[in-house]
Amino acid sequence: MKNIYKYIFTLTVLSLPFACTNLEEDLVGDITTDISAPGISTGGEGSSGGPLSAAYASLRDAGTANHGGYYSIQEIPTDEMAICAKGGDWFDGGILIELHQHTYTSVHDMVNGTWTQTYGAINTCNEAVANTSLDENQIAQARALRAYYYWRLMDLYGRVKLITTPGSDAPQVSRQEVFDFVESELLAVLGISEVSNSMDLSSSPLSTDPNTYQINQYGALGILSKVYLNSEVYTGTPRWGEAAMAAGYVIDSGVYQLCGEGCSVTNLGKRAAVDTDPDELTGYAAVFAPNNEGNSEHIFSVEYDEVSGGGMNFSQMNLHYSSQFTWNLNSQPWNGYATLEEFYNSYDDNDARKTANFIVGDQLDFGGSAVLDYASDDGNLVLSYNPSINELAPNSLREAGARPGKFSFKQFGRDNMDNDFPIVRLGELYLNRAEAMSRMAGDWNVGLDDVNVLRARAGVSDFSSIDADEFLAERGREMFQECSRRVDLIRFGRYNDSWWEKPADPSDHVNVFPIPNAQITAAGGTLTQNEGY
Amino acid sequence: MKKLFTQVLFAFTLILIGSSLHAQRNISGVITDGETNEAMIGASVLVDGADIGTITDIDGSFNLSVPAGAERLVITYAGYSDQIINLGDQSYYNVSLNAGALLDEVVVVGYGSQSEKEITSSVVKLDNEDFNQGDITDAAQLMQGKVAGLQVYNRGGDPNAESVIRLRGISSVGANSQPLVVIDGIIGASLQNLDPNDIENINVLKDGSAAAIYGSRGSSGVIIVTTKKGKPGSGVKFSYNGQLASSSPLNSVDIMTGEEFAAAGGTDLGSRTDWVDEVTRTALSHYHSFSATGGIGDQSSFRVSANVRDAQGILENSGFDQFNTRLNFSSLALNDKLSIDVNASLLNRNQQNGFDEALRYAVLYNPTAPVLGADSPFQFNADQFGGYFETLGLFDSFNPVSLINQNRNNGEKREVNLGALFGYSLTDALKVNLRLGRQHTDFANRIYYPTTSLFNGNATSPTRKGLSETFEENTTFDLLEAFATYLIDLDGSNLSLTGGYSYQQENYNNFFFSLGDFPNNDFDFGNIIEASQDRDNAGFIDFNSQVSPDQKIIAFFGRANLNINDTYFLNASLRREGSSKLGAENQWGLFPAFGAGVDLAQVMNIGIFDRLKLRAGYGVTGSLPSDWGLSQEIREVVNGGDGSVSTKLLRAGNPDLKWEEKAETNIGIEAATGKLGITLDLYSRNISDFILSREVDAAVFGVNTRFENVGKLSTQGLELALDYDVLSRSNFGWNTGLVLSTYTTTLDEYVNDEETRGNLGAPGQNGTNVIKVAVGEELGQIWGPVFAGVAEDGSPLFEDLNGDGTIIASQDQALNPDGDFQTLGNGLPDLELGWSNQINIGAWNVNAFFRGAFGHSLVNTFRAFYEPRISTQSSYNYVNTSKQVDGLTSARFSSLYVEKADFIKLDNLTIGRNIDLGSGALNSAMVSLTLRNPIIITSYTGTDPEPSLVDGGAEDNGERLTDGDVGFGDVLAPGLDRRNNYFSSRSITLGVQINF
Repeated sequence: MKNIYKYIFTLTVLSLPFACTNLEEDLVGDITTDISAPGISTGGEGSSGGPLSAAYASLRDAGTANHGGYYSIQEIPTDEMAICAKGGDWFDGGILIELHQHTYTSVHDMVNGTWTQTYGAINTCNEAVANTSLDENQIAQARALRAYYYWRLMDLYGRVKLITTPGSDAPQVSRQEVFDFVESELLAVLGISEVSNSMDLSSSPLSTDPNTYQINQYGALGILSKVYLNSEVYTGTPRWGEAAMAAGYVIDSGVYQLCGEGCSVTNLGKRAAVDTDPDELTGYAAVFAPNNEGNSEHIFSVEYDEVSGGGMNFSQMNLHYSSQFTWNLNSQPWNGYATLEEFYNSYDDNDARKTANFIVGDQLDFGGSAVLDYASDDGNLVLSYNPSINELAPNSLREAGARPGKFSFKQFGRDNMDNDFPIVRLGELYLNRAEAMSRMAGDWNVGLDDVNVLRARAGVSDFSSIDADEFLAERGREMFQECSRRVDLIRFGRYNDSWWEKPADPSDHVNVFPIPNAQITAAGGTLTQNEGY
Repeated sequence: MKKLFTQVLFAFTLILIGSSLHAQRNISGVITDGETNEAMIGASVLVDGADIGTITDIDGSFNLSVPAGAERLVITYAGYSDQIINLGDQSYYNVSLNAGALLDEVVVVGYGSQSEKEITSSVVKLDNEDFNQGDITDAAQLMQGKVAGLQVYNRGGDPNAESVIRLRGISSVGANSQPLVVIDGIIGASLQNLDPNDIENINVLKDGSAAAIYGSRGSSGVIIVTTKKGKPGSGVKFSYNGQLASSSPLNSVDIMTGEEFAAAGGTDLGSRTDWVDEVTRTALSHYHSFSATGGIGDQSSFRVSANVRDAQGILENSGFDQFNTRLNFSSLALNDKLSIDVNASLLNRNQQNGFDEALRYAVLYNPTAPVLGADSPFQFNADQFGGYFETLGLFDSFNPVSLINQNRNNGEKREVNLGALFGYSLTDALKVNLRLGRQHTDFANRIYYPTTSLFNGNATSPTRKGLSETFEENTTFDLLEAFATYLIDLDGSNLSLTGGYSYQQENYNNFFFSLGDFPNNDFDFGNIIEASQDRDNAGFIDFNSQVSPDQKIIAFFGRANLNINDTYFLNASLRREGSSKLGAENQWGLFPAFGAGVDLAQVMNIGIFDRLKLRAGYGVTGSLPSDWGLSQEIREVVNGGDGSVSTKLLRAGNPDLKWEEKAETNIGIEAATGKLGITLDLYSRNISDFILSREVDAAVFGVNTRFENVGKLSTQGLELALDYDVLSRSNFGWNTGLVLSTYTTTLDEYVNDEETRGNLGAPGQNGTNVIKVAVGEELGQIWGPVFAGVAEDGSPLFEDLNGDGTIIASQDQALNPDGDFQTLGNGLPDLELGWSNQINIGAWNVNAFFRGAFGHSLVNTFRAFYEPRISTQSSYNYVNTSKQVDGLTSARFSSLYVEKADFIKLDNLTIGRNIDLGSGALNSAMVSLTLRNPIIITSYTGTDPEPSLVDGGAEDNGERLTDGDVGFGDVLAPGLDRRNNYFSSRSITLGVQINF
């Protein structure tokens, strides 16, 4: 009897090792390849493109309107804005001063972040292009969006890897080759072999439907217009005619209208107790307002939403801590980005864009009382933004600098803002056409009409004549805060000039950013550094 | 199982009643020194197996009431051999003790135990008399400084923080570097939940050859805790242990008083407030434990204990109260062939986590600001902030008194541990064992920031105020092990073989949500979350959940121990282990270990040594990071409009991911003479294929991170332990022990040639990584420019270190070949020391324990941020140490903020007295007084010079680090003294122990 126990026990113990050696891991709490198969897209034409939601959402993830990525490296190196070091605050290892003074190097965190964010975005497009359940139009949108992301990479870094299949590698190619790819992809989805006055888009799988969150034919042409406008910078060969024709096609289609008189939205930033706050935002200001969805000027925009589409953080990035009480913001701002005085002064006082683009002077809270800065360092407790900035570093004053406010703030705003960010808008296309025509003709006055359309909308008098400097300034006034300035300065040969506390660049190699060192390492020899770094 | 417990309880009740009825008799005697014939005071006289005993008085005499069935007395005295006396009919015993001869202790190793002399690896045993005394909130502190190579650092005095424990420094980069804790055979247990009074002994398996039997979980070393048990056949003994402790802040950051601040040009708000004083306190804690131990018949025994701990932290509103119980039951059945050991413990702990940010804000808050808004120099709507003053419009600045008084951060932890070991002796030589274990932990944390709190409560918002955060997690760990031991006697030599199987499974899940917008402050809406107006505005509600897969480890192991004539010793083990975390092709790893030892005292017959053992061991273990799905690709859902969904990549998969391996070689010498014991260990450990989430080619992978095997690390170290009986007279004894350890770790291979880590953070010091990691160099280098004075504009000047006439010193250029940077210190200590002294004078004993660490530096971040007189931030208080530089108005990292942090301290001073209570109802008692941290000598100007082995990162402006960030932070970035550290404390503890 005793032996029975013995054997049962022994048998049990000895059989255990064979009972369980299964090591399969089923990640029940995470999403893996198992459920990322194309079928997960439940279809439906969503506002942001149904199964393309990840690809379009990547515009937000890719740093279009937050701190530390694409926006930062397009804006801070220009004469539009800077982040000044305030004692210890905002020194951040020197990377912000490096950006403004063009001394960035291959270890710059934001240069690396932008690279990886953009390739992440490209991967979502590559996956969509490879997704066999998508229709022709969706595939075309994914290709056009991918071409746009490659334009960003080409513009920023010059020589990059052209990857078109998820998970595969491809060699780093010249800027010319990236340009050719971007051009050919956009032409392909437009169903044409070249941009011309007589082009027929009828075979394009893209729609003509003016949904601003999806790329349609006009969006693709708008992107092409940007690409051609800068062709000389990228390839050495100007393509002014195509830049003008692409922009002109969209303008002439009449599908989109400049937002001028009569184009207005409720002013969500209004304080009831402050009479000077208008009830409505009209014209230029409405194009960038928190409730700018579907604005008649937007051709292709990034859909931001305080709840479902986070990633626009201008209220945090630009405003002083105490400005929280002007807009009843959900979080305390960071007191970072400020506009350079000279840029601010480039506007006429009666330019509607000056009011719309900047926050200056004494600040009032929701109840109409002065906003106080108890830690004030300018001898005045009242928070007052002074367009004059005492210095870039090390002891910039807390309240120095007009603050960018073009993407205006709404009352009770959250960390994430609601304003849509235009990638292609009609106003820019007027400028693209004007510039391309002028350069082609060798006479800046050729574009005067288009320029004056925008000036009229801004409530300032027409130019009777214009030169390159004035054109660049006008473009700056119109395109402020839209990630256009660096590209424009380079195209006009002004990026390497000195301004304010930024010395002239000893060499123009800074016109492309360095390939991030971390990526060169990670790529194991398949990426090489740009010249000069 | 249930029935068994019922029986135990029944038996226990019976014994309680029955024990007072036992027949007893009185015996007496005298204990003398065998050489001098002097009377020995304070010798311990115990009835073997019954846990009844006394100690000798000033004449060396004792009186003892023994049970009728008692057979033997055990006489012990430190430094003397134990004497066992067979009890005869007589009632008077004259016993002499001889100094010298070491006991051959039994040491617990994995899946069995060995005699100390047979051990060929580095194993240290601590008995409960070796433990640190006093205000101990975490059982890890019992061992602090006692074991060479064991680092236990509890930076600051947060009673709810678990200690950072390291054996021989870094053992892994991405994986858990805390040693494995095994309590009564159940692996992966938590030391925090253990009553120190329940511990019989702790065995620390330091090197790879010892730990290899535990496989991957033993890769960072193993701490084996054995709890106290009853003895069959003995009566029931009760013990009470009580402590009352008072602690106060040991140190603060040197800052300005209100007067000094106003005089230095700070914004004077009219009041004078000592904020540190406002938020700290003299904390009172009390601990009580009660145990009953005994036998049930001749085959069974039990021990039950209950422990109540009520601990306060020196920060107002922080502390915990804890209740735990433990039951050990052992029994023999089937002619003593079947042994059953059951243990169960239960923990219930309520934590007041408090807000350690309050200490940071107390340091940097304007010392001229009033506590209450009513005392504001200007019109201030105090009602909006619950009556408190707030400096609005300043980054990372909150009234610390408001913060701790208004907000609530409470946690509740419940844990059940169940373990059972069944052993069956098939023959005298062969025993098979089955172990079952389950550990279940629930933790719930609720934080409520009321509508009037500026800190996360959004008090400035006219509409959306108040925030509630709820977090719950639970973990279940199951263990099933089967192993057999076979003994072969080979004529004076013996061979012991062990083989087995281990199955471990862990399941984890959690959820978190936060919501706000509460109507007013009438209730604690953290308990009534449905009152949130966020329900109408769902976008504000933040929530997430995690559910782990079945995380399995499956292992087969075997071991052979050979003892040849008690002179030569050989040990070998092999473990094959599989983990579900790795790619299908690489799941199984093979981990061998072997060791050899020889006792030269036996071989060469060297008289002066009782033992002179030379030993060498080599062992390989594997380790894996704690994340699950390491080899798999992880994606996230992206919702489009109107219900459409697609996904995007978050982390790329790596099907080639394989085991991280650690190979360790250990050579040791153990020498023992009558009075002196020396152990010297030299070791070398090589960690290969260590696993980290690394930056990969974003173009190829579509995302820039995945787990890879990325590099190699090697560590060389030396450990020395000395134990010496300075004096061993009968009425005066002094034993002193010294442990020393030193090691260096070098990065041999890595995917990046060099990189920097350890970002200082906001305000203004993002992009400021101050720790350099480079291939071929030592770990822990603090890296930055050298301060050379102050420029005219108040910014710092730096040395032109490379002499090229250009100074490149912005920290983001730290690795620029033309940069002016150098190593400013090392975060890891060169030498760590523990020196213990046990002095017995009659019935008095004094225990003085000194501890020190040398050669390490710390980045004093309080100074780095707040010592420069930054004109733009004159509403922060200024840190004002002796190292302050006049005229500096700009904060930039440099050598100025890197300080040597060598220290030596009297860590623990205990004075105790044994009281013999004769043969009354109370058997014996001991009272003690313990001082913790009474003396500390250091030049470090921060609050605590203890090394910072792991970096949890920066936190600011209401963002809070999680325990995970702190406990499992970056081991490659040691040396940062962060601003969020809790202040350390000094305490005095009165202890009473009564046995009856």
